[in-house]
Amino acid sequence: MRIRTAGVIAAAGLLMLGVAACGGTNEPAATPSKDKGNGKLVLWTDPTRAPVLKPFAEAFGKENGVTVEVKEISENQQQTFITASQQGSGPDIMVGAHDWIGNMVQNGAIDPVQLTAEQKAAFHPNAIKAVTFNGQIYGAPYAMENVALIRNTELVPTAPATIEDLIKTGKELKAAKKVQEILCVPFGAAGDVYHTYPLFSAAGGSLFGTTASGDPDPSKVTVNTPESIAALEKMKALGEKGEGAIKTSIGNENGIPSFVQKKCAFLISGPWSMNDVKKAGFAYDITAVPGFAAGGQAKPFLGVQAFYVAAKGKSKVLAQEFVANYVTNKDVALALYNADPRPAALTAAADAVKSLDPNAEKFVLAGANGIPMPAIPAMGAIWGPMANAEVAVVKGGDAKTAAEAAAKTITAEINK
Amino acid sequence: MKWLREVGWRYAVVLVVCAFALFPVLFVVSAAINPLGTLGSTGLIPEGASLKNFVDLLTGDHPFTKWFLNSVIIALISAFAGLLISVAAAYAFSRMRFRGRRVGLLSILLIQMFPQFLAIVAIFIVFTEVTELYPTFGFNKPWGLLVLYLGGALGVNTYLMKGYLDTVPKEIDESATMDGASHVQTFFRIILPLVGPVLAVTAMLSFIGTINEFLIANVFLRDTEAKTLAVGMYGMLTDKRDANFGMFAAATLLTAIPTVSLFLWLQKYIVSGLTAGAVKG
Amino acid sequence: MTTEVTGAGSASSPHPGSSGQAPEQRSRGGRRGDAEQVRRTREVSTGFIVSRIAVLGIVAALLIYALPPLIQTEAWTALGVVGVVTALVAYLYLTPRHIPAKYLVPGTIFLIAFAIVPIVLTFITAFTNFGDGHRGTKDEAIRAIETSSVTQVPGSPEYYLTIAESDGKMVFLLVDPATKAVQAGTADGLSPVAGADVSLTGKVLSAAGYTVIPTAQAAERDAEIAAFSVPTAGGAVKATGLSRAFEGKADKSYDAACDCVTSPSGGRWVADEVEGYFVDAEGKHLDQGWKVDVGFANFAKALTDPTISGHFLNVLIWNFVFALSAVATTFALGMIVALALHSPRVRGTKFYRIMLILPYAMPGFAMLLIWRDMFNTDFGLISKLFGVHDWLGTPTTARLGLIVINLWMGFPYMFLVITGALQAVPRELTDAARIDGASAWAGFRRVTLPLVLVALTPLLISSFGFNFNNFNNIKLVTNGGPYAIDNSTVGATDLLISYTYRVAGFDSGVADFGFAAAISVFIFAIVATVSTVAFWRSRAQEEVYS
Repeated sequence: MRIRTAGVIAAAGLLMLGVAACGGTNEPAATPSKDKGNGKLVLWTDPTRAPVLKPFAEAFGKENGVTVEVKEISENQQQTFITASQQGSGPDIMVGAHDWIGNMVQNGAIDPVQLTAEQKAAFHPNAIKAVTFNGQIYGAPYAMENVALIRNTELVPTAPATIEDLIKTGKELKAAKKVQEILCVPFGAAGDVYHTYPLFSAAGGSLFGTTASGDPDPSKVTVNTPESIAALEKMKALGEKGEGAIKTSIGNENGIPSFVQKKCAFLISGPWSMNDVKKAGFAYDITAVPGFAAGGQAKPFLGVQAFYVAAKGKSKVLAQEFVANYVTNKDVALALYNADPRPAALTAAADAVKSLDPNAEKFVLAGANGIPMPAIPAMGAIWGPMANAEVAVVKGGDAKTAAEAAAKTITAEINK
Repeated sequence: MKWLREVGWRYAVVLVVCAFALFPVLFVVSAAINPLGTLGSTGLIPEGASLKNFVDLLTGDHPFTKWFLNSVIIALISAFAGLLISVAAAYAFSRMRFRGRRVGLLSILLIQMFPQFLAIVAIFIVFTEVTELYPTFGFNKPWGLLVLYLGGALGVNTYLMKGYLDTVPKEIDESATMDGASHVQTFFRIILPLVGPVLAVTAMLSFIGTINEFLIANVFLRDTEAKTLAVGMYGMLTDKRDANFGMFAAATLLTAIPTVSLFLWLQKYIVSGLTAGAVKG
Repeated sequence: MTTEVTGAGSASSPHPGSSGQAPEQRSRGGRRGDAEQVRRTREVSTGFIVSRIAVLGIVAALLIYALPPLIQTEAWTALGVVGVVTALVAYLYLTPRHIPAKYLVPGTIFLIAFAIVPIVLTFITAFTNFGDGHRGTKDEAIRAIETSSVTQVPGSPEYYLTIAESDGKMVFLLVDPATKAVQAGTADGLSPVAGADVSLTGKVLSAAGYTVIPTAQAAERDAEIAAFSVPTAGGAVKATGLSRAFEGKADKSYDAACDCVTSPSGGRWVADEVEGYFVDAEGKHLDQGWKVDVGFANFAKALTDPTISGHFLNVLIWNFVFALSAVATTFALGMIVALALHSPRVRGTKFYRIMLILPYAMPGFAMLLIWRDMFNTDFGLISKLFGVHDWLGTPTTARLGLIVINLWMGFPYMFLVITGALQAVPRELTDAARIDGASAWAGFRRVTLPLVLVALTPLLISSFGFNFNNFNNIKLVTNGGPYAIDNSTVGATDLLISYTYRVAGFDSGVADFGFAAAISVFIFAIVATVSTVAFWRSRAQEEVYS
């Protein structure tokens, strides 16, 4: 009897086996015959956004007489999407950060979205800039985010004008035993280029040069220019062997909680921290991260969440309708904001909620000097080596050595 | 003095190791019952005690109970099916001599050591087609995930059982064969009852392996309702900057419940030999 | 003959496939009266027939389930494979011969489908440049290049679109938002439409000679609409969704004559079949590439690239240290506690066992993150207990820390399997050793340990293999770090696998699967060699003890 049970299981496996052996060969032939629009729209997103998007997707489905399925991928969304698309089991619409665009385009996974001049004008210019790659718009933005300086106004009533001011105030509070840390900026043992980028850029540092059209140029890596080395020197001065404002012991896991528990008066974080900060029960304010007394402005990275049309989807026209004509609608954008309060990319929607949620407006203002995170695939080569260089200087290492090592690894990776 | 030498040291060892095993768990407990719970800032002693995180978890947006059920069902079925496949193979390897036996044994040991960089690509290549042809075994279906997990059934667990079978004296089944029993009868009626402890251990190992499996389940299950605990919980951490660690800690604790329950039940089989005086036949 | 006939198995079970019978049978096992013996022999022939009918039934059911979709999609190769394999399995369980295969085939089928197929795939991939930018075929790359280059013709209207039909053919009814003029677009071009009824939002409600297709029906014809294009002087009108259309023009197009992509604005990119890219005169390539065979290039690169070979030895040494200490520490601790609890005189063993199994029952990734936080320099528990130190930022302590974390996560596994294995060691043996005057330690060393090792050596080898590639622990706790200031390629705790992961670009989101596959082959060669040697040595041991 057991053997027979095993037989049933084996038989099931057998099917898989047969198919596995031939899956690769018969797929292209089979696709065209099956590839009729099936009146079904499939959208992939992450678990945080799935419940927010579901009602809107369903409303769209009702309006157009089609079924819409919202699926969530828990982790590694970009690679899963690209791999699934390539094999023909991907979605029609993908939702994700704009810095995926470069890699999705080089894999032929997404199509450009044709927005009308009127539609484009309705978005925050930075949002449109972020989703533009090689002169084409590849997604419909819906939310923007960037980091800002959040401060406990009970401890610090006025916003610091410079980073030096910030450090001075932080040190005084620490000396008075009102806080334990000067500044909470998530950095962690592995480093965090994103959260510290305002400081690095304020000190004059940069990652890439720019092309004639103003896009980041991967052939000009600038992390080891004299300006960038000087910026790393400043980070070293703020680091563990200096002021102690940037520490490897404060990371994503404890940065926001430390601020909420009043262990520090300043926090560099984004709109995602608001849930926790509001719960803390003390007065706070959100301002732009200041610059150094002698030096430029802090330029936080701008991140944009956008909808993309999958190039190998089965319902491309429907997907275009959803991305180009549905989510770009002001009422839809407003409703999306209400379900998930992140600064809206659509100016009209952002204006409409200004009075309701001053925080969103403050984050947008704090990001006024920001630069869209480069979407070029080469950006992927930056994160690791740059984070290592920052960790090295924060721990007191030589800035030039660290910068040269990072530049070497980055260049090698880009020219691979 | 004699007690100390024969029994006392046992308690000492067990208590020390228990302390080592438990203190990270205490961390999780403390974060779970702390209403402002975060993993990063919680100490061993919680700053407050409430069941808020558990209530939020069970009543919140996440279909936690559904994930819980999915996990338990998939893990139980796959442990059971894997056990059958594995013990059958172990029986053949232990009791029969055939061409390719040694190579076969070595192969199943080595195959599982291959670095699986392309696992996800392979899954998509195989299952895109399967989903089109046989939706029951396709993406998003527990049956599909289940057959996929059975790919690992012939692995180290087979060895564990083969090793144990080797310690069962051959005379036992030889005498059964002399009595006219077939190989199937010997297998089910004589061998299986004798290897209870190792069956229980293997079931336990394969249950734990499946219930905590993340990589494959992540690409396989996309409907919120279809997810397993590991995938669902990882999703709670996806937007890592916005994660509710307290709820996550609570979920971590609840995840351990099925495993511990199964162990409670199987423990008597695992240690049955202890009082019965080992394998005598 | 009897042996063969009884091959039918548990003949007394009337329900093939029902697993509910198992415990009952198990409890009956062994002791059986003579009467029962006789009854069994009589039932054998019925069982034989029943089981063979069942095999045929299952095979038939399987074919009924499996074949129609294959025939429908004309997947003849798959059909052939399913047919042949089904026939082989049917033969195997119908014939009284090939007994070992009967027990091995179920697992082997799954093993081939889900473990060996990925390995074969890895081998094949190692000879290609498959990876981000090179995932598809050349045709797919061309299509993507052309699609990505479509821009709106300057100054052209941004039409409202209504999808309609005329004489059974699809027509785009286009409304110019500025003039409200209506035009019909067909495969032949644009023509004006008079007297159409247009709504305020620009939808055509009705037009003489055309049947407007309702949205829901249009949605069903998605692919048709997507492929539909209306030729114009400046380019072609294409749909943007169901409600808008634009006049677009592809800036780049493929020319088969020169095997290149050209742009009217002057660009020219020639196909490079070695790199799998379209390359211009300056050597710059278009983003979208395709998969090409590269022969042994990936293997050669792994051997000659200085960023790899330069660090290889250091990484390899630490990799061995980690894997061996992981096995040694977990085995030792698991053995100690298993032995400590292996005594009827200890009370509360059930409770202790559950406590000891807890680390294994918690989700691994969550606990790794917790451990990482416990090692936090300023706030972690370890710093509170042993003083502030940059635990994971100093090579020695980071390595020690990883071994401790691995010990915590891994010892319950060893504890479990050793507890199981100890049950097979006859207590009389250990007792006998004791009476002979041997000390407890000698008894353990001479009797218990060798017996346990016979059963567990393959598990230790497998544990070595697993820890040799223990990617999760490294990735989640240190991510290979700490890194030396002048070296951001390889960190102090990098294993070959985490190192490969980074070097092949998986960390940076631009993955080079071909290269990773080639290194996987090397890593596998190392692990497999070590494991095989250990395996043959343990085989020798087995001969001695069994």
